[in-house]
Order: sequence, then C-alpha cells, then structure tokens
Amino acid sequence: MALRIWASSTANALKLSCASKPHLSLSRCFSTVLDGLKYAESHEWVKHEGSVATIGITDHAQDHLGEVVFVELPEPGGSVSKGKGFGAVESVKATSDVNSPISGEIIEVNTKLSEAPGLINKSPYEDGWMIKVKPSSPTELESLMGSKEYTKFCEEEDASH
Amino acid sequence: MRGPLKLEVWKMGFVNYLDALKLQEKLVSDRKLCRIPDTLLSLQHPPTYTLGKRRTDHNLLIPASELKNIGAELHYTQRGGDITFHGPHQAILYPIISLREIGLGARNYVEKLESTMIELSSLYGVKACAGQKGETGVWVGERKIGAIGVRISHGITSHGLAFNIDPDLKYFKHIVPCGITDKEVTSLRRETSTVLPSEEVIHEQLISCFARLFGYNTVVWKENPSILSDHEEIA
Repeated sequence: MALRIWASSTANALKLSCASKPHLSLSRCFSTVLDGLKYAESHEWVKHEGSVATIGITDHAQDHLGEVVFVELPEPGGSVSKGKGFGAVESVKATSDVNSPISGEIIEVNTKLSEAPGLINKSPYEDGWMIKVKPSSPTELESLMGSKEYTKFCEEEDASH
Repeated sequence: MRGPLKLEVWKMGFVNYLDALKLQEKLVSDRKLCRIPDTLLSLQHPPTYTLGKRRTDHNLLIPASELKNIGAELHYTQRGGDITFHGPHQAILYPIISLREIGLGARNYVEKLESTMIELSSLYGVKACAGQKGETGVWVGERKIGAIGVRISHGITSHGLAFNIDPDLKYFKHIVPCGITDKEVTSLRRETSTVLPSEEVIHEQLISCFARLFGYNTVVWKENPSILSDHEEIA
C-alpha cells in the first residue's frame, strides 16, 4: 500500500500517468501529452471509447491557468457543439471558458470537481475529466490533433512570446 | 518571434458599468474575428459593486436594497474573482487582447497585470507586490491597492484591473473585499507622500506601464471614443 502511494506521488511529481494507460510522449516544455487522445487548439482533450467520448483540459492548459479554484459544468442531458463553450474554470481571479472539441449529448459530468476543483491540476487526464458525451458526428474527431501534432502546437504557442 | 504588436487605447472617462460591459462584449467578439487590434479601455465607473462568476454575495455586508441609498449599483458578472467596489478616483483598465497571439496563459497574463500596477506604484515611491497564493492582486504590506478580475473567452480577455488612486475607501466597508476578511484596502494617495499629478496623468502612466510590460511596439490613442457605433444602440 505504502509503495503504491509513493509510486503514485512520484509519478505525479514527474507528471507521468500511472498504471496501464496510453503511453506518454513528453514535450520539451514538460507538459504531459498522452498518445491515444485527440486534442483541440483551445487545449481540450477527447478520449473516444466506443460510443462515449470523455472531455477535459490538457496538462498544458492547467499549467498555464494556475491553481483551479472553481469549475462550472453543464447539466447532463444538455448538448455540446464543436468549438462552443460548455463550462468554465476559475484560477488566479480569471475565468476561462472551456470549449467542446466535438458535438453531442452530455451523458455525465464530473461532480467531484465542485468539491475538488484542484483535480484538474493534479490529474488533468484522469480524475480531472469534465464531461462525458455521446458524439453526434464521430467524423469531427478526425479534424482534431493527435499527440505529436498537439505537442508541436504547444511548443509553437509557447515560443511566440 | 512575433511581429510588431499594436495596441489601441480608448480613453473613456466616466462610463456606467453596464455600458462598459456591453461594449466589452462587442469588442471581444470583434477581436475574436480579428476585426480590431488588441484594445485597451481606460476609464472610471460611478460607485458600483460587482460580483464574479462564483456569485459570492455573502460578501456584500449590507442589503442589496440599501445600495441605492448610498448611491451605488450592484452587478453580477462572468469575471473571475470575488466581490469588489469600483468608483470615482479609481483607475480601471479593461484589456481586450488575444492571449493566444502573444502566447500567454491566464496565470502569466494576471501576473503581468499585477506587474503593471506594481510598476505604477513604484513611480511614486510605493513598494507594492503581488499577492500570496490565492490572493491575486497588488498589495502594499497587508493593504490592497489594486484588484484584478478577468474573463477569458476563446483566448480573448475582458474585464481587467482596478487601481486605487484616491477612491472613497468607506465604500469598501460594505463588503468583504475580494472575500479576504482581515486585510485593509488602501490607495496611492494614502501610501505616498509625493504630491500626485492630475488623474489623467496617472491614467496615462498606468497605460504606459501596461503597454511596456506587454511588449506593444505601437500604441494608438483614441480620445473620447463613442461607445455607440454608427449602426447600433446599446439598448
């Protein structure tokens, strides 16, 4: 038990994903980018498994936001549209809209985030997931970036200042 | 790196809070479509209390119905941050800028807004600093001289900062400012023994600090801009 806790916190410190998940490609700016996910230019990720797509914000996004203190999420049963906002996060007195990379029906929202908004910082790809959606146009996923493309996108964005 | 950066500054004088909010919504939309360059609104508000997205109205210490008696309005907004007061002799900057184009995230953006107010304070010999973790804003010791509350939508900013030149600090007694209970609010007037120039000069200095810290090469000034365009009214 103690060994597992140690391994988990070390993995967190090194920003590595624990357990048997998609393998990593570490970008030069040390934000984690996971293979097997799709990414939007506004720094949200999508994990498509069967008929369900899980959406959250990336490690790069949470790092640039700072500590998240508040998360606004929609109700299940609502819908999302590609490129449109579905919620917001607040950090350092800034509210930032979160946009959906795909369209579909919201089937579940992560209610843990109202009590523990910091999960987005600690575990952006796992415990910090935001909504689960039934995609209405699965072809929308094809226009999103893969891990290598997104890594390059982040590097270029960070280099521009 | 990036090309030359242009900032258009609107010097607006006194603007009602709702009018400024509607103008910002329009400008954010225009900026997102690249119809306008990065734009900075410089203005003051009549006495106004505002709340952020979290709607922390438990930090308003008088009934909302009594606000009219003290000559103030109350508005709920989508910005980050807690409750605050805006009023005469407080310099406000609302940058409507594209964070993606200058490669800034929320955290770095807010830090630069803090630095803008810190730099302005230093022009008057006032040693201000950024807040501790969770206390975003600008402080002189334990006293808050500048507040920040920002909204970022599709990478475009709105709302911004408020710097206390010499507002009536009694208005702050009716709130728990920014939700922080045991700290005071202060002003440039209180913190410096230097004779202050006209407020217009201080506003221009604040704008210059902002432009320099954000790396704008070209600054275009728009005096007395109309908040109404030719084709629309603010209803």
